[in-house]
Parts: sequence; C-alpha cells; structure tokens
Amino acid sequence: MMKCRLNFWMIFFVGFVGLLHAEEKEKQMLLYTPYTKISVPPGETINYSIDIVNETESLKNPDISVSGIPRGWEWEIKSGSYVVNQLAVMPNDKKSFNLQVTVPLQVNKGNYRFVVRAGEAELPLSVTVSSQGTFKTEFTTNQPNMQGNARSNFNFNANLNNKTAETQLYALMAAAPRGWNVIFRAGGKQATSAQVEPNTTENISIEITPPGNVEAGTYKIPVQATTGTTSDELELEVVVTGSYDMELTTPRGLLSSDITAGDTKRIDLVVNNTGSAELKDIKLSSSKPTGWEVSFEPVSVEALKAGETANIQAVVRASKKAIPGDYVLNISANTPEVNKSASFRMTVKTPLLWGWIGVVIILAVAGTIFYLFRKYGRR
Amino acid sequence: MNNISKPFWVIVRKEISDYMKSWKAVILIILIALTCMGSLYTALSNIGEAVKQGSTDDNFLFLKLFTASDGALPSFAVFIGFLGPLLGIALGFDAINTEQNKGTLSRLLSQPIYRDYILNAKWIAALFVIGIMLFALGFLVMGFGLIFIGIPPTAEEFCRIVVFLLLSMVYIALWLNLALFFSIKSKQPATSALSGIAVWLFFSLFYNIIMNVVGKALSPSPMAMPDQVVRYQKFMLNLLRFSPGELFQEITMTMLMPSVRSLGPLTFEQMDGAIPSPLSLGQSLLVVWPQLTGLISITLLFFMFAYISFMRKEVRSR
Repeated sequence: MMKCRLNFWMIFFVGFVGLLHAEEKEKQMLLYTPYTKISVPPGETINYSIDIVNETESLKNPDISVSGIPRGWEWEIKSGSYVVNQLAVMPNDKKSFNLQVTVPLQVNKGNYRFVVRAGEAELPLSVTVSSQGTFKTEFTTNQPNMQGNARSNFNFNANLNNKTAETQLYALMAAAPRGWNVIFRAGGKQATSAQVEPNTTENISIEITPPGNVEAGTYKIPVQATTGTTSDELELEVVVTGSYDMELTTPRGLLSSDITAGDTKRIDLVVNNTGSAELKDIKLSSSKPTGWEVSFEPVSVEALKAGETANIQAVVRASKKAIPGDYVLNISANTPEVNKSASFRMTVKTPLLWGWIGVVIILAVAGTIFYLFRKYGRR
Repeated sequence: MNNISKPFWVIVRKEISDYMKSWKAVILIILIALTCMGSLYTALSNIGEAVKQGSTDDNFLFLKLFTASDGALPSFAVFIGFLGPLLGIALGFDAINTEQNKGTLSRLLSQPIYRDYILNAKWIAALFVIGIMLFALGFLVMGFGLIFIGIPPTAEEFCRIVVFLLLSMVYIALWLNLALFFSIKSKQPATSALSGIAVWLFFSLFYNIIMNVVGKALSPSPMAMPDQVVRYQKFMLNLLRFSPGELFQEITMTMLMPSVRSLGPLTFEQMDGAIPSPLSLGQSLLVVWPQLTGLISITLLFFMFAYISFMRKEVRSR
C-alpha cells in the first residue's frame, strides 16, 4: 500500500517537473488544425482551418508558407477576406486562417504530404487521394448503331462527360458524308456547341438525316466534341435499308383525258422508281366505273431498278351507257412494299352518230319543204 | 333575182309594221316583258342564295339569271316556255283568214307575185318580231345582270344564252306555225284562235294530267324489279316528250344548267365513278340533240302543213 502511494507521488512529481519543463520550453508559436490526415477523391477542394497560437510573451508576425505541395495542386491562404502571407498574433492569443487546397483531377492515387509553416512552427499535413484521377472528356452513347430506311431520321442519345476541373465549351462536329445532315441538340435546343460544367454530364442528342436518295448500306459517322485542350470522339453507325417508293403518272403529268362513250383510248403511263431499292413485280390494277374496261400493256413490270422508269399503256374502254361528263378512273401500281395510285379524270363524250341522224331528219323535213316550194310556189 | 324577191321583202316590211301597230302583239309583248323583268328581279335578289348552294353550276353564275327563282315568281326560262306559245298563237291565228274575210287576200293574189310569198312573208315577219322581242329581252336581262352582279359572262355562257334564245324562237315558231295552219283551215279568226289555244292548253295542262292518270294505271307494283321500274319511268318520260313544252323544258334545262348530264332516269351503273362536272356547250347540245331534232322537225312539219294547205286553198274574191 505504501509502495503504491509512493509510486503515485513519483508519477505526480515527474509529471509536474515535465510540465514545468514544458512551460519553460513552449514559449513559442504553434500551428493547429484538427484534420491532419484526410482522404478525398480527385478534384476535391479541401478547406483547412488552421490556428496560429502565440504562447510567447511578445507579439509575433510570422510568414506563412506551404512547402512540399505536389505539382499541379493549387492552394491559397486566406484570413478574413484577404489572401495573406503574414499574420500577426498578440501574445498569448491565437488567430486562425484558411488554407484551401485543390486536388487536381489528373492525379495518381496515393498519399501526399506537405507542410504548412508559420515562422518556426510547422504543421505537417497529409492527404490521401482515394482514387485515380483523370483529366479528360468522355463522349459516349450506349446505342451507337441504328437501322432505318432512307426516309427515317436517326436519333442517337450521347452523354458528354466533362472530367476536367474546368468548365468546358465543346464544339460539336460530325464528319458526315456529303448530303447527310447532322443536328446536335443540347438541352433540347439545336446547338453547335455545348457548355459542360466540370465533373458533370450533358445529354447530347444527335439527329442524323440521310439524303433522300441514299443507297442501302452501313454508314459510319464520327462525331466529335472538342475544346482547345481536350476532346473525345464517338463513332455512330447508321444502317440504311433500302427505301421503296415509286411514282405513277403520265409522261406529261396530265391526269385527265377524254373518251367517247363505248370507245377505247390508250393512255401512256410512267412508273418511276423513286426509292433506293429495286422494285420487283410491279402489278397494275384499276378501280373503274361499272361497265368500263381497263387493261394494261404490259400487264406488269418484272423489275425496276432505283431511279429508273418504265412505260406502260393503259387501254381504257368506256361503257356504252356512260353519260357525258367526267368520270373518275383510279389506276394503281402495286408491289408488296409500296403502292401508288393515280386518279384520272375521264371526260366522256357522246358519240356523234345520233347527232347525225338528227341532222338527217331535220334535213329531210327541210328538203320536203323545199320540194313543196318548187312544186307549188313557183307556178 | 333582186327584182323578183323585192316584193317579198315589201310584204315582210308591211307585215312587221302591221304587227307592231296591232294591239294584240303589243299587249302580249308588254306582258311578256313585264313578267320577264319580274323574274329578273327575283333572280337578282336570290342569286346570292343560289350561289351558296355549292353546286357545279356555280361557275356559271350568269346563267342563273335565267333560271334562279325563289318559288314565288317563275324564272325567265319558265316564263318564256309558258307565255311564248301564246305570243306565237297571237301572231299567227288571224294571219290568213282575216285578210280573206276582209277581201284583201284576193287582191294581194292578183298582184304579180308568187303565191307562197304571202305565207312566207307573214311567217318571216312574225318570226322577226318574235326574234327581236326575245333577243331584246335576253340582252336586257344580260345587261341588267351585268350592272347588278358586275361579273361579265364568259364566252361559253354567252353562247349558251344565244343558243337558248334561238331555241326559244324555234319553240315559239312552232306555235306560230300551228296558228298559221289553223288560220288557213278555219274561216273565222275566233275559231283558229280558240283551236290554237285549245292545243296549247291541252299540252300545257291536260296532257300532264292525262299522263298522270296513265302513269298510275301503268305503274308497276312496289315489289317490281328495279329494271322494270326504270323501263316504266323511261316509257312515261317518252310519252311526256310528245308534248313540245316538255321538249322545250328539257332543252332549256340542259342549255342553262351545264351540270345536267343526262335527261331521264340513270342507273347506278352509269353514275358509278361519275363526278359532278359541267359539260361543254357541244356536249350539252348532244345531250338534248334528240329533243332538239324533235322540236325543229315538228316546227318545220307544222310549217309544211300550213304551206300545203295554203297552196291548195281556194281563194275567191268576194
């Protein structure tokens, strides 16, 4: 028990002596911050609040500096609203200042150390970068391939990710083949450039319109987002299937004709393949008034390449009972892929035969009167 | 030739001046002019509504002047069809028998002229008066129409109106010839006037009534086949066409309404695929060609009868 008590006193004494010694030794400056070792991702800005403690009996005015900070890291010392290099501290007082350290995006993973000095006082700080940092742009899409016919629009959705520390104004460019039309939309508006805040992603929609007469095939369209310092490229792929389209008309475009009731009339027709794929087995048909007959020469077109035309004659026979005036005759050209029709306005005329018979009757009566004139009148 | 035909034109001129001085012609012409002006007034006040109906005849606004009416007063064309025969009868019923009764006919015949000159000259003179009146009225309507509508007629419309007026002349000439025939056949002007009016009344009133009775008697049962009904209707229409008034009405309709494409019943077969469209003048004429032929032939036939009976007539001096 006694020993125990002795021990206690021993400790107390030693401690007291030590404290005295310390008091004697600590007549100097101190730097203090609670976060001496922190872990941050790349691109993060760290705010240290550091106290300068003046334990001496005199006013101190130390220079403040940071040393050993890695290259590319930015730092700034501020107190109040000023950037400071020196800070005066009253005896037995403390002042605080802020140290702002920005970890760049392009940084390796690991431990980084640097030292803050104020006069003789030193404060070693340690920063652990939690992940590998970058300085780059990412221009990506999750669906770079699209298929459609020549008439369709191809809408791609791309993400433009700015992984740099600065706001970037990207010029958006596409190296499309001639005749193709590429429209960029950022935030719903048509644009040629997009501004992206650091470490954010912008949705860019890309609308690609092929030329109307494009041939079937696969087309690669590189799309670029560039600034002066960084850029990324995205390759979009458009697969154009053949488009099927045709036109049915007459050589002069005139869709009316006249016909005598009960008579035949030949109408020249032109079938024009305006699509981008070959049309096969074009059949011609007609919807006609009752009693009319329509036949075609030739009956069908076996194959018609893109851009080519075929001539067909329609032989129309009007009904004998057709009344004078206009009738509608629909002629259509059909393939399994596409069908087109043309409406003809057929003006029916009455045959002149009965007209002549009427004339003969009138002439007969007039002739009889003339005969009577001769017989009775001139006696 | 000039020497021979000169007396003919002398007679014509004399006849015309007689007509213009006679009360009956003047009264009738004034009557027709007034009624036609009345119908023009109704046409002008109704032309706005007539256009709004949206038919294919809208392109032929000017023709509407002759056909539009509000129902209270018949249109110009209907008036001509109704009063024209009266004018024809009035001009012709006393042509020969009055002169005969007065004794001037034998005096005229004693002149060195061909006998038929008298009849022909009277006919030409009456036709001349009718023509002048019709064309004056027609152009008056056109003129007023121009002032009030402000839209000039197209060449097509003008041609249609002229053809209509010419055919009206033919129609009136038909009744004139009939009246001439009666005036030759009967001694008393009253008899010939009454006979003419009787024929006119028969065709304009009783014929339709008789046809209604016949139609009812002949009408197929409601269960009849459609083609039977069509045949019946065609038959009835053909019976009706024995009346010159019906012929004239069909001609007027086709001439003044270019959208009329057919007269008589149409089958669905014929209407299938047809779109409403106006006909050209030539096609319209072809549509009514049978009616035209009939009308002109009857007119000429009546003239022929009048001519024969006049040439065979015994004219004695009293």
